[in-house]
Amino acid sequence: MRRSKPYPRLIASGIVSGSLYLLLFLYEREILAAFTRTDGWYPALPVIAAFVFSFAHGAFTAYFWEVLGIRGRKT
Amino acid sequence: MDPPLIQFVDLQYGDVLALLAIGFVGGLVSGFIGSGGAFVLTPAMMSMGVPGVVAVASNLCHKFPKALVGAYQRNKFGHVDVKLGLVMAASATLGVWLGADIQYQVRENFGEPGSNLYVSLAFVIVLTVVAGFVLHDAVTVYRSGRSDEEDRLSRLARWAQSVEIPGTMMHFRTANVRVSALFTLPLGFATGLLASTIAVGGFIGVPGMMYVLGAPGLVASATELVIAFVMGFGGTIKYALHGLVDIRLAMILLAGSLFGIQLGVIGTTYVKPFMIKVVMAAIMLIVVVSRGLAIPVYLAELGQLDIAPRTMEWLQIASFAFLLLALCTGGIIIIAAMLRGHRTGAMSLREQAPD
Repeated sequence: MRRSKPYPRLIASGIVSGSLYLLLFLYEREILAAFTRTDGWYPALPVIAAFVFSFAHGAFTAYFWEVLGIRGRKT
Repeated sequence: MDPPLIQFVDLQYGDVLALLAIGFVGGLVSGFIGSGGAFVLTPAMMSMGVPGVVAVASNLCHKFPKALVGAYQRNKFGHVDVKLGLVMAASATLGVWLGADIQYQVRENFGEPGSNLYVSLAFVIVLTVVAGFVLHDAVTVYRSGRSDEEDRLSRLARWAQSVEIPGTMMHFRTANVRVSALFTLPLGFATGLLASTIAVGGFIGVPGMMYVLGAPGLVASATELVIAFVMGFGGTIKYALHGLVDIRLAMILLAGSLFGIQLGVIGTTYVKPFMIKVVMAAIMLIVVVSRGLAIPVYLAELGQLDIAPRTMEWLQIASFAFLLLALCTGGIIIIAAMLRGHRTGAMSLREQAPD
């Protein structure tokens, strides 16, 4: 049976992931300044950002390969 | 607000593209063998002018989300033994602490060249021994014609599994291993120690899980991702508390490596189990050459050897080129093995199909 390709999910996750990267580079200086602060809860920011990016970009990259037809072989 | 502790580099387009590409291949290798990439990423960032400590911190900050995604994906194929990963990670954390402490002492007593020499010697000695063992096993399996089968237990693993120490026995379901925690603890510890010395703990962790505990290669390489996640997460917190993570570098690396790791994970479902060993041994042996070339440079910096400055320059370039070669060789073997596995699978499906 032929599986349908997840184009809507690829586009949605791509927009979220692309927006995150766009924000990171548009506000590069402000983000670096906040993320390298060592007081209060600021040191948690890089860790939180890493999780957020991994969920958004992880989903995008998974759909990317799936849309290209590159899938793992179930054993 | 604290003043900035360190100068962060201005990123150029060329740097971003290079980090994306290296991140991709590093991710591909990590998805396949559970670790790798860090040995190239850190020096690559340093060659762009990133201070060493920021390069290490940013590498760690990309490593744990990458390992998380890789572990999640490989768990879908039933490769991850979460319990084994967490048990190993617990003692690996202790190893990381001791390794960092040793690094600090070496640096205090022998300076930067002494520290570099120590790291390079650790690379050469550990990787030569482990890679020799892994390669020998891979060649034996290939020659025996059993390359399609699951991994057979090594003699050491058979012995380790036969040792019954009351109160310490643990059962790891996915790895199908019942072994005393007294074997997993030193193994995890050595993984952490190596991770904090050469940045790639998996070069001990994966062969250790295969040959000492008896876990199949696929499970060992996937479980290493759990250990990498825990160590990367802890390391990131440690460096973030000192404001040393360059989030831009970390997220650029992540952008490339998540494409790579997904592909590496898919690759593990197409190849014969012994290919994990082939890729690991090939990468380790080329890295040994790279670090071996760097040793005379550090000896010269310590005043123990007399080398012309131009020769030193060439040795450093050759050393970095071999690191890149190691990563690319791993990537090429993985993609070639995937294509071969895909073609074989497609052919057998055609043969099975009714006329």
